Amino acid sequence: MAAPMRGMSVLRQAFQGLVRPSGGQVCRQVQHRCYSTPGHVQVDMNSETGVATVRLNRPPVNSLNLDVLTELSIALEKLETDKSCKAMVLASAAPGIFSAGLDILEMYQSTPERCVAFWRALQDAWLNLYGSRLVTMAAIEGHSPAGGCLLAMSCDYRVMAEGKFQIGLNETKLGIVAPFWFTDVMLNTIGHRETEKALQLGALYSAQQALSIGLVDKVVPLAEVMPTVEGELKNWLQIPAAARVITKTSMRKAVLDRLRSQKEKDAQFFADFINRDSVQKSLGMYIASLQKKKN
Amino acid sequence: MALSVSAGGRVWRKFCKTFNFGPNSALKRFPTCTANGRLYSTSSDNVLVSKDEKSGIATVRMNNPPVNSLNTAMLVSLRSCFEELENDKSCRALILTSQKPKVFCAGLDILEIYRKSPDYVAQFWEKLQDMWLSLYGSRLVTMAAINGHSPAGGCLLSLACDYRIMAEGKFTIGLNETQLDLVAPFWLRQTMVDVIGYRQAEMALMIGALYTSDKALQLGLVDKLAPIEDVQTVAEEEVKNWLKIPDQARAITKMASRKPLLDELRKRKQEDIQTFRDETTRESVQMSIQQYLEKLKAK
Repeated sequence: MAAPMRGMSVLRQAFQGLVRPSGGQVCRQVQHRCYSTPGHVQVDMNSETGVATVRLNRPPVNSLNLDVLTELSIALEKLETDKSCKAMVLASAAPGIFSAGLDILEMYQSTPERCVAFWRALQDAWLNLYGSRLVTMAAIEGHSPAGGCLLAMSCDYRVMAEGKFQIGLNETKLGIVAPFWFTDVMLNTIGHRETEKALQLGALYSAQQALSIGLVDKVVPLAEVMPTVEGELKNWLQIPAAARVITKTSMRKAVLDRLRSQKEKDAQFFADFINRDSVQKSLGMYIASLQKKKN
Repeated sequence: MALSVSAGGRVWRKFCKTFNFGPNSALKRFPTCTANGRLYSTSSDNVLVSKDEKSGIATVRMNNPPVNSLNTAMLVSLRSCFEELENDKSCRALILTSQKPKVFCAGLDILEIYRKSPDYVAQFWEKLQDMWLSLYGSRLVTMAAINGHSPAGGCLLSLACDYRIMAEGKFTIGLNETQLDLVAPFWLRQTMVDVIGYRQAEMALMIGALYTSDKALQLGLVDKLAPIEDVQTVAEEEVKNWLKIPDQARAITKMASRKPLLDELRKRKQEDIQTFRDETTRESVQMSIQQYLEKLKAK
């Protein structure tokens, strides 16, 4: 079930052609622009409010593979340069799930080249998201482990649906290790003690637990997640953009620079680490256990 | 007060009337009334200092009506005061408060940066830096007795202290610079992070949040709440606990923890001045300030 192999440049070209700012379908109301791609990242831009809703759409669980991460990077880059865009809501098109995180199949029995390409795509998507000038909000309407948690934490604000959904960096449960920049973002979200505990245990938290440690900012019934995010956005957008952006960029600079300064090294480290026999074995066992659950 | 202690009842009543002191005014408990009080001869009236000889606790009252805005004169007076107390071997603690309750300090005097030359603004900023260095870097136990509203520069003063007691009720505190299209400097942002943690500080700073005392307590932005008329007393009680600790050990511990940030500002002083100077010359910033001033006039 491994994803088909594609060259990076070919993929990028394909998506550049398809994702036109003013093209695509006109959805619902005139002031919306939809990016119609056959791919996995739907962008719905409301020109009146300047708010873009970006929905991950790779059923069943929005797992982040090379394609999704590339599309996400491109979508974010376009919004960044779109002067009419002031804010972005990150959400999911699939019910019950925000994102299940990195696609395990990108890490299991892959080639070193593909691993590096995959990791670079993840780095770029994250740098674009965490370093965005836009007000970014995560509408967490479903489960959000691992990479899903990373995406959520990288936004300025998080609203999660109450109930059975879980969120957290659970990498260690699978025998893998969250990279240093995942840790940096978590430290900046929930502080040192909680991060150390969360990472070692690979903890997954319910919405209420997440709220109590500050991993998310608000917990509301599922149907209220989007309206709550929209309400919150109105407040944030009243702040003069220049000052808000300079404040955000200045505060996040250290963490962003730390990855920027060692991207190659980090990608190589991932490729080497993931290809260790012990790690491949853990991943194999995890995949097998998922298959078992299916059958 | 710079006024003579022996002022008669008539003068006293006139004074109270002018400044609208209610029956529960903290002024009634002014230390000069006690046998141990000693007046400092500060060079100006905008910062009033009294010290209790027995305990070594100095109370510094900001007195720049109507809202203790930090103009050049205030910054200079505050710095002088902090330095004088630093050098006074019998002084062990400092309580910073407002002479007039309901407003602790409304922040920097906007007129000092509105339509002023870049050089003027630069000099003003350096005075702010120097004042902050003398307070944040003080060897004394420092307490903020926040007896009123405390936005922006008021919050800066509060954060620089070791401990914060705030008046209960509808008073607000926070770093709301971004509301005026201004950016809090790195050293101020860092003190906010150090007090309430990165996540809350990032959000508070981006949206320029002002918190009510209850919320401020919940966030850890302030440490204790008290009825407005009791803020000073509660501060004095709290200080006494801190003064049970041998001074040198406590002061060295404080300095070890604060030294990195103090050194970083000292190292980047000119760069920080340049950043502020560039920022205030931005036309959008001057426009924001203009709109703000017009709104105030309209009120």
